[in-house]
Amino acid sequence: MQNAKDSFYMALRTRLVAINPARTILIRGAVRPGILVEEAEAPFAQLPNDAYVLRWQALGVDTDLASTMDGIECEILYSTCGTQVFGGLDRGRMLAAMDHEVVAMLQPYHTPKVNYSVQPAATMQTQVFWDEPAFTAITVQRDRLSRSARVTIYSYQEQGEA
Amino acid sequence: MTATSFSAPAPVARRVRAYFAPVNRATQTPVLFDPSQSATFNLDAPPAPWIDLGWIENFTRRSASIAAQLSFEFLSWTKLTMALATGSQHMNLLAPATGATAAADGAKAAPAVTVQSGSTASAIQLSSADIARFAAGCMIAIDADYTGQTGFVGSPVSGAYLRQPVSDADYIRRVTFNVALVLGVSSTSLILAQPLPGGAPAAGAKLQAITGFVDREGGSFYQEWSALFVLQGSQGDRIFFHYPRLQSMAGAEEDAIPLDSRHKSGLSRVLLKGQFLALPVTDPLDSERILCYRSFKPAAYALI
Repeated sequence: MQNAKDSFYMALRTRLVAINPARTILIRGAVRPGILVEEAEAPFAQLPNDAYVLRWQALGVDTDLASTMDGIECEILYSTCGTQVFGGLDRGRMLAAMDHEVVAMLQPYHTPKVNYSVQPAATMQTQVFWDEPAFTAITVQRDRLSRSARVTIYSYQEQGEA
Repeated sequence: MTATSFSAPAPVARRVRAYFAPVNRATQTPVLFDPSQSATFNLDAPPAPWIDLGWIENFTRRSASIAAQLSFEFLSWTKLTMALATGSQHMNLLAPATGATAAADGAKAAPAVTVQSGSTASAIQLSSADIARFAAGCMIAIDADYTGQTGFVGSPVSGAYLRQPVSDADYIRRVTFNVALVLGVSSTSLILAQPLPGGAPAAGAKLQAITGFVDREGGSFYQEWSALFVLQGSQGDRIFFHYPRLQSMAGAEEDAIPLDSRHKSGLSRVLLKGQFLALPVTDPLDSERILCYRSFKPAAYALI
């Protein structure tokens, strides 16, 4: 299922670059597209603003099928304090823009499964797929607005895949 | 080099996409879908003459050896979805003439204007005097004058069946499926939002503004179309249901779906409900009588 998780993240990262190339984040001295996997980074005291953080949650496995199907829930967390130019008064607009980007990044609701643990990355036979996101209510923490979207990522285990 | 395969479980699909094409009513000739040639078509750009009607909901098939029925709900209201869901004749509301007497299916219409040569399915040429009557945002119907014919009326889509002549010269434009939204107006032409379903207007065609649509409970005309339904699987697999002849079998019906399931008395989306009867065709392969063809395109590298 690691291949499915990697494929989902890379699909969203590629799509974000196309949707909004200006949304970037500086991590460990490198400027990257503004999306990251929480479990693949050093622990955060507070999640970064104006970027998307993927947090992997519950897992389900269906072994009764011709190929075992995994379903793993991904929570996409994001928050913003708005921009300094507007003194943060545009934080609602900034969050709305991020809502829109999440919807856009998730479409289409599938991507080829790719094994990124080999060099070069190897495209596998099946597709990773998911359904429409479920958005939570906004959380307000002083001048910080946060929201998350939950989506379940499905994939079939292929031959030789853990 | 040898590739690997996988055992594909049952297809997983989110929605069903519907495409319709007109049956030639006079000759009872349906439009055939050939999955051996067209199984990978772009769902947003179906092969001609199929018309994309978008995603549908609650697609239900009931099959028997001598009859098959299906029902579903359209997610949008358009000329074609209304016509398919009404089960009867569907008409355009022609913009009325000034002071015309009220009529339930539209008053006497304002005079039609003649379409000029050089028109295409997406750009309609008009004289400079006529073009001043139209503006971006208006809706139009284009077809020939009615000249007293009986039988199936309208081409390539039959919109009505007349047992006896009527006295309305605009009758064909009342029932035509050749309708469009005008997005732009130049000094000589109307720019349409989508191509006319019937293609470039024929010589002698005329144009009238329309204000909406109307259909009637009752009547004796039944819509009949060729239909294609596509389920796009998660692995690139596809299931096709091809009904060469599908006839409306119920009157107009709507289904109201609350936008918020926790607030059932609040806003609702009104869906057009369609119920259809599949009519048989003779398969030239072996002369069997067939109601529906179901075909399946497996996912790449799926074991078969």
